[in-house]
Amino acid sequence: MPHDSPRLFLMLASLTLLLPFLGGPAAARDDDRPSGQDTARELRNFAAQAYPSTYRPLPRRDALITGATVLDGAGHRLERADVLLRDGKVVAVGQGLSAPADVVRVDATGRWVTPGIVDPHSHLGNFPTPYTGEDLLHTDVNEDSDPNTAQVWAQHSINVQDPGFARALAGGVTTLQIMPGSTNLFGGRTIVLRNVPANTVQGMILPGAPFGLKMACGENVVHAYGDSGRFPVSRMGAVSGQRGAWLKASRYLDEWRRYAAGEGRHPPEPDLQLDTLAGVLTGDIRLHAHCYRGDDIAQLVDMSHEFGFHIAAIHHAAEGYKVPELFVREGMCAAVWPDWWGYKREAYDAIRENAAYLEAAGACVAMHSDSSVSGQRLNLEAAKAAAAGRRAGVDLPPERVIQWLTRNPARMLGLEARLGTLEPGKAADVVVWSGDPFSVYSHADLVYVDGALAFDRSDPARQPKSDFELGQPSQGAVP
Amino acid sequence: MNARCVRRLAAALALSLAAGSVFAESSTVVAIVHAKLYTLETAQPVDDATIVLRDGRVQAVGAGLAPPVGARVLDAGGRIVTPGLMSAGSQLGLLEVSSLPDTRDHSVSGGVLGAAFDVQRALNPNSTLLARALDDGLTRTISHPDGSAVVPFMGQAALLRLGDPASLLERPQVAMFVRAGTPAATAAGGSRSASWILLRNALAEAARYRPARDAGAPRDQLLGRLDAEALKPVVAGRMPLAIVADRESDIRQAIALHDDTRLPLILYGGAEAWRVARELASRRIPVVLDPTLNMPASFDTLGARADSAALLHAAGVPIALSVSAFHRSFNAGSGLREGAGLAVANGLPWFEGLRAMTSAPADIFGLADRYGRVRPGFDADLVVWDGDPLEPSTQALHVFVRGVEVDLTYARHRALARRYAPPPPGATSLPPAYRH
Repeated sequence: MPHDSPRLFLMLASLTLLLPFLGGPAAARDDDRPSGQDTARELRNFAAQAYPSTYRPLPRRDALITGATVLDGAGHRLERADVLLRDGKVVAVGQGLSAPADVVRVDATGRWVTPGIVDPHSHLGNFPTPYTGEDLLHTDVNEDSDPNTAQVWAQHSINVQDPGFARALAGGVTTLQIMPGSTNLFGGRTIVLRNVPANTVQGMILPGAPFGLKMACGENVVHAYGDSGRFPVSRMGAVSGQRGAWLKASRYLDEWRRYAAGEGRHPPEPDLQLDTLAGVLTGDIRLHAHCYRGDDIAQLVDMSHEFGFHIAAIHHAAEGYKVPELFVREGMCAAVWPDWWGYKREAYDAIRENAAYLEAAGACVAMHSDSSVSGQRLNLEAAKAAAAGRRAGVDLPPERVIQWLTRNPARMLGLEARLGTLEPGKAADVVVWSGDPFSVYSHADLVYVDGALAFDRSDPARQPKSDFELGQPSQGAVP
Repeated sequence: MNARCVRRLAAALALSLAAGSVFAESSTVVAIVHAKLYTLETAQPVDDATIVLRDGRVQAVGAGLAPPVGARVLDAGGRIVTPGLMSAGSQLGLLEVSSLPDTRDHSVSGGVLGAAFDVQRALNPNSTLLARALDDGLTRTISHPDGSAVVPFMGQAALLRLGDPASLLERPQVAMFVRAGTPAATAAGGSRSASWILLRNALAEAARYRPARDAGAPRDQLLGRLDAEALKPVVAGRMPLAIVADRESDIRQAIALHDDTRLPLILYGGAEAWRVARELASRRIPVVLDPTLNMPASFDTLGARADSAALLHAAGVPIALSVSAFHRSFNAGSGLREGAGLAVANGLPWFEGLRAMTSAPADIFGLADRYGRVRPGFDADLVVWDGDPLEPSTQALHVFVRGVEVDLTYARHRALARRYAPPPPGATSLPPAYRH
């Protein structure tokens, strides 16, 4: 088991101990000047990306997509409309657009165009297929050696050869948030990826995307630890573990603030775990909480008030529909499935109307996958949730429903200014669908990421395939 | 749902407090008119069809027929009508909350039962999963065991007919489920070869087995008496072997077993069955597959592909559907429809997608004399859809079982949705617990 490895422990410990002497921003000075006079002192950057992105867009040509039914993600539906992509950005959307002769024309007559899909909850790469018996013993998705592993980063677990990436791309997914699992109260940092093939995860990381912190309520944590007699064995234990961690993080942040203000001679001892929590308290790291029950969600909301952080999103939110007012009041998004229920006690009350009811209450709603299977078909997930709403009297048009896949998950990730809609200036993440994207018969024909054609259903030369799949029996099959 | 139905339902509730689906006894004659009817006799629908339902059976079918005098007339308004759907594999009636062992009866991991494990005595007609499935147009399912204490047997499956709690079990012991592949290998000691040796041995022992007073089984027999007896109908060819296998090598082993024994076989899973399609087709071995599986979820399914249903059909292999673990039972109806839709999206003809949820499983499981087609004398199990039933966003508007419309008003999923429906603006009311 990973937590039994003394070598790993030493590596972590030595890294933690050495950091102050390696020239971090706060460790730059250690002299005898009186407190309050050190203008070079800064607050530690708790959200620094020490393993930065090397992502570059794929080779691209400017494109004019013409004659499509466009759902722009900003709430509009345009018929027979064109979309102009230049230098990786959306330049214009409307009827009868003109473009220079060297711009590639894509005839999308009879087809539908939407922004690229953003999956705000994926385990591609850190829980890669094929799954094996080994995954029963340990996986790269959960560092389940302690209920608080806020110090781990999902990006350090990602196997870029997961065959699921290419399949999600074929389903129109252009951006993914990869999450640690949910066995821990604090699972670790999330990472936002561009869904383009690369041989390093650094080559996929979306530059400048905020980190997230994965927290978890309830059943999973209590089972993972309580079943073997370890802390926490109850929900109240779980909440106490979370509060205790926030207390420590608040003190840590305070120490750093006082040091940055010039107090004291020595900087506080840097701590990877407390860095992540402090980053949430400063608002630089976004909080994503796995939480099913309505009453559990309310506890988390009060906890956010107690310690002064903002919850970006409740993931799964199986009973979100029981407390819609909390989502609206707190400005939290809900990342939900359309129809998962019954597989554990806290999912027993999940109903298909959840997304529509939350939307009707004014909450920010997104579909998420948490699955390499449904993560290929988030468009159908939205279709199912919308259909359930329609039956219950919440009738949402396609131009609203598409926001569950594009604008709203982008908002959840703090990326709404950059992507998620087809508005001028936004990233040219675009899907050309063969038909209505909410029909089971429609396929993503073309998928653009930052203006580059990353997938073309009609051209095998534009269909990435992981190294793992070469020479395997499925070779040659379109995903 | 009109007021008359509500009153009738209230009366029925007063008699029976059974939760979930309410199935009222009734001798009412129903005529569904102006339907776009897929009888499953041919690929073409009958437009403007009338279907007369009497005494639990279809009495008459035809374009433009006048409804009988006194019948309850349901105007389908040109909407699609099909037989109620059938899943070829779920655990309906055998589980409620899958993480809670108290609510699970689909498998045994201890005790002595192997082939003799039979799910028929665990079926729970009040399981909320049944109402959910009915609401999605499912009226029949094969409910199969998921594992027994004796490798490689999973146990014996039952045929369920949803709707009437008193007769959920339509027919027990419809197939003997056997696991192949990695899970069987693990249980057999580490190699899948061992699981095939154990299966062949079990069949040989069962064929030799003679119940005799005062005489025990041969001393070196591995099968217990119960398991040997349970396998008798299998070795006699009266109960099909349902072998769950995905990897090509295991599918070829299943075919070899069939060739050696001539026993009837149904292949479940079949992620790589398309690679053996000709061999399966020439033997008329049906495949119950999961069209949602298009990726290497395990080393047994490296060859999974989205067009597998289309490839098998094109080769002449009969196919039915059972979607993968999660939706198989909890969304048994909608998951099945989505699976069929995905198969069609990836090359299977539309009508074959519908067949795979109706007449195909009826043929595979010996129900072709009463279910799976809309024909006079057949079971009056019908669904009126608000759109294409292969679209996941389509809903079942009316579900008939034995000629009676199933009323799901008080099904748990509907009651929750009603309780928490967005309130009208300005409404103030008691807590939701008072709304029911």
